[in-house]
Amino acid sequence: MRGALEAMTRGAGPALASTLGLLLLWQALAMATAGAWILASPLAVLDWAAERAGLLTRATAVTLGAAAQGFLWGNLAAMLLALVSVLVPRSERVLSALSLLAFCLPLVATGPILRVLYGPGTGPQVTLAALACCYTTHVALLVGLRAAPPGWLDLIRSYGRGRVTALLQVRAMAALPYLAAGLQIAAPAAILGAMVGEFTGAERGLGVLILRTLRGLDVAGTWAIGGIAAAAAIAAHAAVGALARRVTRAPPPVILAVAPPRPGRGPLARLAGAAGLILLVLALWWAAMEAAGLPAFFAKRPGDVWAYLATGPAAGLHRAQLLGALGQTLAIALPGYLAGLALGVGIAAALVLAPRVAGVAMPLAIALRSIPILATAPLIVLALGRGAAGGIAIVAAMIFFPTLVACLQGMRQTPAAVTDIFDSYGAPRLTRLIHAQAPAMLPAFFASARMAVPAAILAATTAEWLATGRGLGALMATVASTSDYGMLWSATALIASVAMLAWAGLARIERAVLARAAPEQLS
Amino acid sequence: MADTPPEVVCRDLACRFGELEVLAPLDLTFAAGQTTALVGPSGCGKSTLLRLVAGLETPSAGAVRIGGQSPSAVQRQGDLAIAFQEAALLPWRSLRGNVRLALRLARRPDDPAAVDRLIDLVGLTGFGEARPAELSGGMRQRATIARCLVTEPALLLLDEPFGAVDELTRLRLNLDLPRLWQARGTTTLLVTHSVSEAVLLADRILVFSDRPARVVADIPVDLPQPRAAAVTESLPYRRLVARVSDALGGGGGRLAAE
Repeated sequence: MRGALEAMTRGAGPALASTLGLLLLWQALAMATAGAWILASPLAVLDWAAERAGLLTRATAVTLGAAAQGFLWGNLAAMLLALVSVLVPRSERVLSALSLLAFCLPLVATGPILRVLYGPGTGPQVTLAALACCYTTHVALLVGLRAAPPGWLDLIRSYGRGRVTALLQVRAMAALPYLAAGLQIAAPAAILGAMVGEFTGAERGLGVLILRTLRGLDVAGTWAIGGIAAAAAIAAHAAVGALARRVTRAPPPVILAVAPPRPGRGPLARLAGAAGLILLVLALWWAAMEAAGLPAFFAKRPGDVWAYLATGPAAGLHRAQLLGALGQTLAIALPGYLAGLALGVGIAAALVLAPRVAGVAMPLAIALRSIPILATAPLIVLALGRGAAGGIAIVAAMIFFPTLVACLQGMRQTPAAVTDIFDSYGAPRLTRLIHAQAPAMLPAFFASARMAVPAAILAATTAEWLATGRGLGALMATVASTSDYGMLWSATALIASVAMLAWAGLARIERAVLARAAPEQLS
Repeated sequence: MADTPPEVVCRDLACRFGELEVLAPLDLTFAAGQTTALVGPSGCGKSTLLRLVAGLETPSAGAVRIGGQSPSAVQRQGDLAIAFQEAALLPWRSLRGNVRLALRLARRPDDPAAVDRLIDLVGLTGFGEARPAELSGGMRQRATIARCLVTEPALLLLDEPFGAVDELTRLRLNLDLPRLWQARGTTTLLVTHSVSEAVLLADRILVFSDRPARVVADIPVDLPQPRAAAVTESLPYRRLVARVSDALGGGGGRLAAE
C-alpha cells in the first residue's frame, strides 16, 4: 500500500511540477503583456470562470449535448455508408465521393443555411457536428473493413460463404480498431462542429459565449471558454480512446494511409464518371429541396445558382464578387495550408532525429491535435490580430497537428528489418530518415494532406468570418445577415467544388509519387 | 459427398493474371482417396492450381470438377478444406474458437469433443484458450491443420502446411496426421517444397516445370501405407527421393540415392 502510494507520488511529481511551471509561465507572460488585450492570466481566467460557474456549466452541457447527438448521427451515417460500400462494392466510388462532398461543405455557409432551415434550436449544431465527423469515421472504417488479410477472406470463401458472413465473422472484428480510431478523431470534431453551429446564431452554448466575449474584448472570458472547449475536446478524445482500448486489441497502423481509388480506365471513362457524379449531386440537391417542399426564397436549387452566377441580370457582378472573395480566401488558405504541412513534416523529421524528444512530444502532439483549433481561433485572433497573419496562423495551426501526428505515425511504419540494416552499417540518423523513414511516411503524409484541404478552407473562412472581415468567410457572414441566399448557396457550391478539385488534384499527385516511392500502397 | 471421397478432374485448366501466364492448359485427374503431392520451383503456379481447385480463383480457360461438381458447389456443402501457407487464424478468437469456426462455416453441428481431440492430436494440448498471437509460427500452422480436419472434409488441400514447423515436429506430424485423412480416404492435394516430405506423405507426386507450370514427371509412390519413420531409411524411399529430385533438375538425386 505504502509502496503503491510512493509510486503514485513519484509519477505525479513531475507532472505536477510541469503543470505548475506552465501555469507560472502563463502568469508571467500575462503580466508582461498586460494592457495588450492578448493574454489573460490564469488567475484572471479562473476568477472569471468561478464567477460564472453556473452559466459556463449550462453552456458546456448545451454544446456537449449537441455534439453528442451529432457524433451519434454522423457516425451512424458513416457506418452505414461503409457497410453498403463493402456489401455492394460498385457503390463505393459514388458513396465515398458523396461523403467527401459533405466533408467539403463549408460549415460557415451551411451553418446559416441550416439556421434558416431549422429555425431556433440545436438543429444546425447537431447537423454540423454530424457532418464534421461523418467523413473521417467513414474513411477509417472503410480502411478497416478492407484491412483483413486476404487469407482470412479466402477461408470464408472456401466454405462457400459470401460477403455477409465475411463481414460478420472477419471484416467487422478486423475493422474494430480502425472504427475506434475514427471515433476518437470524430469526438473532438463533433465538438468543433457544434461550436461552429453555435457561431451561426444559436441562443446558448460555448460557441455563443466565446463570440460574445470576443466582441466585447473580454480577454479573460475568451481564454476561459477557449480553455473549456479545448479541455472538453481533449477529454472526449481521451474518453473514446480509453473505451476503445477496452474493446479492441491494438491500435491500427496508420488509419488514413489509404491511396485514393484507382481512376477509371481511360480519360474518357474518367470524364464520364466525373460528369455522372456531378449530375447525381445536382439531382440529389434538387430532389432534397423539392422533397422537403422548401421555399425557393432561401432554399436555392441548382438552377437558381446557375441563374445567379451565369444567366441572371447581375450575374457578372455576382461572379466578380464571388471570385474576388475566393482569391482573398485562397491568399490565406494556401500559405496557411503549406505552412502547416511544412511545419508538420519538418518537426516530425526533427523529432525522429531526436528520438528522446519525440517520446515526450508525441503524446503532447496527439493531445493538442484533439483540440478543435477553430474553437480556440478567437485566442489566435487575440494574439495575432485581425490581419492576414492571424488568418494564416489559424489555418496553419489547424493543419499542423494532424500532419505532425500522421507523419510521426507514418515514419513508425518503417519495417524494423529496414532500419536494422541502416543501423548495422552505423548509418547516421539523417541517412536513415532520408532513405527509409521519409519514403515510409509518404502514404500517411499524403492522406493527411488530402484531409487537410477541407480543413484549411474551413479554417480560412472561419478566420475571415471571426476576424479579418475579408474573403468568402466574411462574404458569407454578410450575405447570411442580409438574406442574399443566392450568394450564400453560390459560395457554398464554389467552396465545395474548389475543395473537391484540390482533393482530386492531390490524389493525382499522390498516386504519381506513390507509384515510384511505395507502389505496394496502390490498390 | 462426405462418405465417398471425390475424384478431382482438371480439364484444359489454364490461368493468367493479366499478361502473366501462370498455368499452361493442364489435363489432370486426382484419384479419389489418394494423396497427391505437387512439387516444383518457387512461383511455378502450384499454389494457384490449389486455389483453382478450391474455387478461390477463376480459371482463364478450362474447368475443375470435384466428384462431378463445381468447386463452389463443394464449398457450399462444406466438403472442402484448405490450409494456406500463412496460418489464416482470426486473432480475436482462441485456438479452440478458430477450430470451431470451421464447423460453423461448414454448417456442421458444434462438436467440442472433436475439436479438443484434434487440438490434442496436433500437439497443442493445453493451448485451447490461447490466442494466435500467443502461439509460435509452427503452433499456428498446426492449429490450421486442426481447423481443416475438424469438418472431416472429402477434399483436403494443403499448401505447404508444415513450412513453419521445426524438423522434429514436422516428422511427427508427417507420420501422425496423414493417418487421419487416409483412414477416411480423403482426397488430398499437398503442395510442398520438401521432396522427402512429398515421398513420405503422397501416393503420387507431380513435378511441375517453371512458370507456366507443366507436369514434367508423374511419379507413383508405391511405398506401403501407413508409413513409419523407418521407411525414410529404406532404399525404395531414397530412390524415390532421388527420382523426384532429378525431375526437379536439382542434381542432388543421385547423391540421395547413394
